[in-house]
Amino acid sequence: TTRHATPSIPSRSLQTQQPANILEEARAKLHVSSVPESLPCREQEFQDIYSFVESKIIDSTGGCMYISGVPGTGKTATVHEVIRCLQHAANMDEIPPFHFIEINGMKMTDPHQAYVQILQKLTGQKATADHAAALLEKRFSNLAHRKETTVLLVDELDLLWTRKQNVLYNLFEWPTRRHTRLVVLTIANTMDLPERIMINRVASRLGLTRMSFQPYTFRQLLQIIMSRLNKMRAFEEDALQLVSRKVAALSGDARRCLDICRRATEICEQSASDPNSTVLVGMSHMMEALNEMFSSPYVTAIKCASTQEQFFLRAVIAEFRRLGVEEATFQQVFVQHQALCRVEGLQSISVSEGLAVCQRLGACRLLLLETSCLGVLQRVRLNVSQDDILYALKAN
Amino acid sequence: MTALLKHPGYNEERLQRVAEQLPCREVQVGMLLSLMGQPQQYSYPSVFIYGHRASGKSHVMHVLMKELELPHATVSCVECVSVVLLFEQVLLSFFGCDAASLLPRSPSLSDFVRIYRQQCSQSPAKQTRYIVMEKAELLRDTDASLLPALLRLQELVEDNVTVILLSEIIWDKFRPNTGCFEPLLLHFPDYSKGELQQILSQNRHSSYSAEFYSTYINILLGVFYSVCRDLRELRHLAALNFSKFCEPLAEGKVKETDTHKLWKHIEPHLKKAMQTVYLREVSSLQWEQMQQMEEKEAGALRGLSAHTHVELPYYSKFLLIAAYLASYNPARTDKRFFLKHHGKIRKTNFLKKNEKTSNHLLGPKPFPLDRLLAIFYSVVDSRVAPTASIFSQISSLVTLQLLAQVSHDDQLDAPKYKCAVSLEFICAISRTVNFDIVKYLYDFL
Repeated sequence: TTRHATPSIPSRSLQTQQPANILEEARAKLHVSSVPESLPCREQEFQDIYSFVESKIIDSTGGCMYISGVPGTGKTATVHEVIRCLQHAANMDEIPPFHFIEINGMKMTDPHQAYVQILQKLTGQKATADHAAALLEKRFSNLAHRKETTVLLVDELDLLWTRKQNVLYNLFEWPTRRHTRLVVLTIANTMDLPERIMINRVASRLGLTRMSFQPYTFRQLLQIIMSRLNKMRAFEEDALQLVSRKVAALSGDARRCLDICRRATEICEQSASDPNSTVLVGMSHMMEALNEMFSSPYVTAIKCASTQEQFFLRAVIAEFRRLGVEEATFQQVFVQHQALCRVEGLQSISVSEGLAVCQRLGACRLLLLETSCLGVLQRVRLNVSQDDILYALKAN
Repeated sequence: MTALLKHPGYNEERLQRVAEQLPCREVQVGMLLSLMGQPQQYSYPSVFIYGHRASGKSHVMHVLMKELELPHATVSCVECVSVVLLFEQVLLSFFGCDAASLLPRSPSLSDFVRIYRQQCSQSPAKQTRYIVMEKAELLRDTDASLLPALLRLQELVEDNVTVILLSEIIWDKFRPNTGCFEPLLLHFPDYSKGELQQILSQNRHSSYSAEFYSTYINILLGVFYSVCRDLRELRHLAALNFSKFCEPLAEGKVKETDTHKLWKHIEPHLKKAMQTVYLREVSSLQWEQMQQMEEKEAGALRGLSAHTHVELPYYSKFLLIAAYLASYNPARTDKRFFLKHHGKIRKTNFLKKNEKTSNHLLGPKPFPLDRLLAIFYSVVDSRVAPTASIFSQISSLVTLQLLAQVSHDDQLDAPKYKCAVSLEFICAISRTVNFDIVKYLYDFL
């Protein structure tokens, strides 16, 4: 029997359809995977990284750089663009040629796989992790003259952390050797990662060449969308203002911003009566998309819960108020539940049904429960704030 | 019973045979049969059957599967120490040993599902297949994804398969924290006294009449029903004591109909059996041998629990006594018991509010090694050097489970112990070394 152990995306048999109307075209342009030629609002960062790598290549030395920033601030895209420009320059014989390899911590099953992947991308050789480490060690310590510089991009650096930190150590140790001609660019999310998780000898080798990508402001987000749309009239001006202000206030994540815009075009398309008419995406569509993305599913879940489940949540809050602690056992809550049922004139339920109600709420993570083996003695805590529950219960 | 016999899709003769083998379970069997539907119909994905021990859960499933010749796999979760065995048994009984050999060495759930589907596409189910899991409460201790997967196995393998879980524990204590597909719950209630009588009277002795045996069962239930409703245990007791019941008949002293005399004869005997046989103090074989021997009175033999006499070295005995005193006396009374010039202190001075209850009811308390040795030196009359042998005796008392170490195992400097022997045992030991332990116990002051 054949086993397809490696999961993969099924291959496309049909050609992708060309965008038919203006909204579909806008959607294609706003897709996260269609990275534009030049990144707007990242000119300064681009310049810094470019000059760093270029100087290392021209001087034929090695070095490390640490790039940090919250998700969706364009770190990886900027580095890729830098490499693209450098390769273009190398092709034009403006700078010496160099070799670029990229590894991603997320794509590895084990931190030590980094050695295997680096070796494979450098030489095409396949080896076990230990053997690959030895081979790389030999390659980088060899004083023989290397012809070209290697630029190594390490994405998701924090996942390469091991207890002895030998992978990180080696990654930062190799560029410091003489004649290695290795430039390591590392990307991670937190700014203080070297200080938090790395031991001193690793952090010191990483050096102080750091760069942090600030989250986009609303003006920058607006500019990104505008540059992507490239003067295409699909959105109302106010709608774009709204989405960029909302996203900038929350996270400054460009990907999130693009997703919301694409969702808004879909909503606009559905609401339009005639599919061929040219309708602009307005404020109402954008509001709807924003609500879909940002509203808490907990409140909706509580609103849609059954009567007994809502009563149970109410009993939990009542019991917490009585105890003054944010934790109670199931039997304490159940006594409250029965009293509540009696007050509301409902038939009180059995303990088994009560446990079923409680465990259903626990399964959708409205409550935090202990293991069900404990029966009526399991402790109940809330996973949502009491205000959210009261708001949701009051609404209906 | 007529309702049971009219299930479409099943042979009527077989249903008749099922009904004969399953007395007093008509309602449950009828319910199960209607859940199962006709053989080729899809049944509910999972059924959870619960009831007390010996309420006929496994028996009902076994008879139904056997007599109606349904394709089934019966798996005991006690035997399946790893999931491999479970998967193997299921595949083996559905598709033969070729399928079971396809499993890799340490198969995951997805391996099982993959092989099941592959086999199933070669030999699709003509009837509903049943997987009966006995002692299903052990499934909770295995991989957390196993129970939810079994509950919706029908959906996963896309085959006409039903998983039946048997357990003594209610479903509420099974439900995984992440939620799962809810099975149908079916309760098997306890047998009533009348039903027990009916079932027990069925396997009567061939040389005696049915009424005679049913009288015997009636007397037996009269004695034992208040303490035991377990059918298996009662059946065992009935078989064990029947020969004694028939004795006067064999000697020709009474007739079969003379119920009162028979009762007079057997009743004290059964009362005695309750003390000895039910707890398996005297093994069943010994009990039967005793009944043969006329002169030896039942219960004269010393049971298992009477053998509490243990031979210990001299200092070990004192160590054990010291441990007992340390466990059951409060530490602040040590001065009064073991120091020579302590002055007169009455018990009322010691009494605190929370010490109204006896220490013997609360169980032994932990004590440090220093206290044990201090009491030990004071109760032993001669001078004892703290040699290695004393300390090794302490640790061997721990391995004999007469003491229990409560602190962490690797602690060398201040280990804590508890005394794990009963009062009778320690009294017997202190008698052998002429030490009056009751005088030193705070509870008996």
